[in-house]
Amino acid sequence: MANKKAFGKIKGREAMVLGIIIVMVVLFSLLSPTFRTYPTLVSVLDNSYYIALMALGVTFPLITGGVDLSIGTGLVSYALIGGYLIIHQGTSVAVGIIACIGIGVLIGVFNGALIALMDLPPFLATLCTCMITRGLGPALCGGFGVSWPSAISETGAFRKIFKFVTADGTVVPIGIIFILVLVVIMSFVLNHTKVGRYTIAIGSNKEATRLAGVNVKFYHMLAYIISGLFAGLAGVAYAATYATIYPGSGAGFELDAIGGAIVGGVSASGGVGTIFGTFLGVLVICLMKVGLPFIGLQANWQQIFTGIVLIVAVLVDVVKKKK
Amino acid sequence: MKKKVLAVLLAAAMVLSMAACGAKGGDAEKSDGGDSAEGGESKGYSFEIIVKSFQSTYWQAAVQGIEKACSELGVTANSNGPANESDIADQVQMLDDAIEKKPDGIGLAACDTNSVLDSLSKALEAGIPVVCFDTGVDNAPEGSVHATVATDNVSAGATAAENMFPVIEEKIKAATTSDQVRIGEVNQDATALNIQQRGQGFIDKMLELCTGAGKKVAVVGNEFYVNATEGAVAEAEAEVIIEVGVPAQTTVDLASTEAQKIMSKDDTIAIFGSNQTTAEGVITANQTLNKLATDPEKGIIGAGFDAGTPQKEAINNGQFIGSVTQSPLMMGYECIYTLAKICDGESVEDIPMEGYWYNTENMDADDIAPNLYD
Repeated sequence: MANKKAFGKIKGREAMVLGIIIVMVVLFSLLSPTFRTYPTLVSVLDNSYYIALMALGVTFPLITGGVDLSIGTGLVSYALIGGYLIIHQGTSVAVGIIACIGIGVLIGVFNGALIALMDLPPFLATLCTCMITRGLGPALCGGFGVSWPSAISETGAFRKIFKFVTADGTVVPIGIIFILVLVVIMSFVLNHTKVGRYTIAIGSNKEATRLAGVNVKFYHMLAYIISGLFAGLAGVAYAATYATIYPGSGAGFELDAIGGAIVGGVSASGGVGTIFGTFLGVLVICLMKVGLPFIGLQANWQQIFTGIVLIVAVLVDVVKKKK
Repeated sequence: MKKKVLAVLLAAAMVLSMAACGAKGGDAEKSDGGDSAEGGESKGYSFEIIVKSFQSTYWQAAVQGIEKACSELGVTANSNGPANESDIADQVQMLDDAIEKKPDGIGLAACDTNSVLDSLSKALEAGIPVVCFDTGVDNAPEGSVHATVATDNVSAGATAAENMFPVIEEKIKAATTSDQVRIGEVNQDATALNIQQRGQGFIDKMLELCTGAGKKVAVVGNEFYVNATEGAVAEAEAEVIIEVGVPAQTTVDLASTEAQKIMSKDDTIAIFGSNQTTAEGVITANQTLNKLATDPEKGIIGAGFDAGTPQKEAINNGQFIGSVTQSPLMMGYECIYTLAKICDGESVEDIPMEGYWYNTENMDADDIAPNLYD
């Protein structure tokens, strides 16, 4: 019974976020005639791929009551190393992509070991790996930026996973299908598998879960490995969309992903959240990133506005819970 | 027990990886020394070079020039820089560390021209000559900075406007207050002096050229550039509008949103990205808009700044009519030569470097190609 109630509440949250998205689209479309065009829609989606991937992954540590701050600098670092292998070491693109995802998983294992096995606070542990990944890419790659193969070259074919251009020049953002498939898969993992149920259980009451005979350390660690895996995927998506990877960038990307998850109803104290909610939350963030410049808001005001919207989103949740 | 073993293992792994990194660094330094011993007469000076960051491949070319000059002169230089151009405190720390090493001279590309002033005083006290390159430090303590090797950014920005104007001249002449034309510019920020000068150099030259063609110009968008421009009129009275976009953060995704915002407008005839990140932002925006062309009748005229693979491809594909390159290679090269001259007791002076326009015709020329890093 209690379960059903919680389920109902989350559904309501998703409907609310969907409502916010519709309001934002209508508002931006009214205020800017150039916003309501097909290329702008594609641009919002382009912006969403790497953030959505990061957010799908980070939802798991968030639901355990932790956080993963290393995904932003991580994705840049992984993409940098992957690109370095392709451009400067002459490996195939497939090897670069596998390296990008593989290093993500390794950092996930490292985070998981620090937090689940050695009991470091998640905020602290991943803050440290955030610093490590920030330096790791530039250190291994000689400190220089690197451009992944362009979409027109043969080796750039991997980019078509995210954006397909037809013969007459129409751009088809098929990346969104890829993302939606992952949303469905990860929703299933979270709601209908041991991995997901134990992730939620750890976030609700870790001690009770342990006493119930669950290998808490393993499942707690797994949450961070999933986060690392998706940060690696996000690295590939970022390279596919924006080509050039600049060392030292990426700090702050994780906030877009975590912000998206929180807006989508993932509880900052753990135990509650859905993958679909996270995905909708990411769309809110991306709509703001693209829409605010279109309605003529200048740089500094965009950031102030984004912060205020996040506060309101979280506040609505808090007020609702108190009732 | 298990926990302790794991802790020890992890600690050991970290120490090992650190040792590995350390060894790698040592090798690199050694090979540098080897190179210099081979080249000509050995002067034996050792210099510390602090660059703004290794964030863009731009600095790769500068380091190439530094290494070239070192091997020609038989001197050694140790290059260092923070992870990001905005890591101002890190760079100041690196500069202080460099002074502690008591080198024969220091080459500096300052991230923030005010934050390095104290360190420059220290260098002056320690008797270490400093040569600034890429970015000058205007109010440096008297006598600390012996010379500045930097691109004249105002004229480099103007170079882009001068080369863009003839292509869109007919469109501008045909513009009226009821049928305005729009020229876009995306600048990485409104705080770094070189970006400010470059962005303003483009705006001022374009305004001058349009005024020369008998048209009134309005500047809209980012407050800094709007306020800094003189001689512009209100938007309603103008025939030509220059719209300036500045992203909230310096990433390609946000730069591309700014570019897309401007390029989506029907009256836009041209757009200029004033550094590598923003030029790539324009190119990324065009991937969905597909509006860039070399013929003003067929689409938007695009131009960029600096180099990098995506930008060079855009020029070869007819998306950009051309771009302006600085010569990071020559700046690094001249910096070492200037430092060596100071050590030899010769007098030195500032070396202003030009911005060079490049397009499909001269991309492979001997004086241009080495600067067009990937």
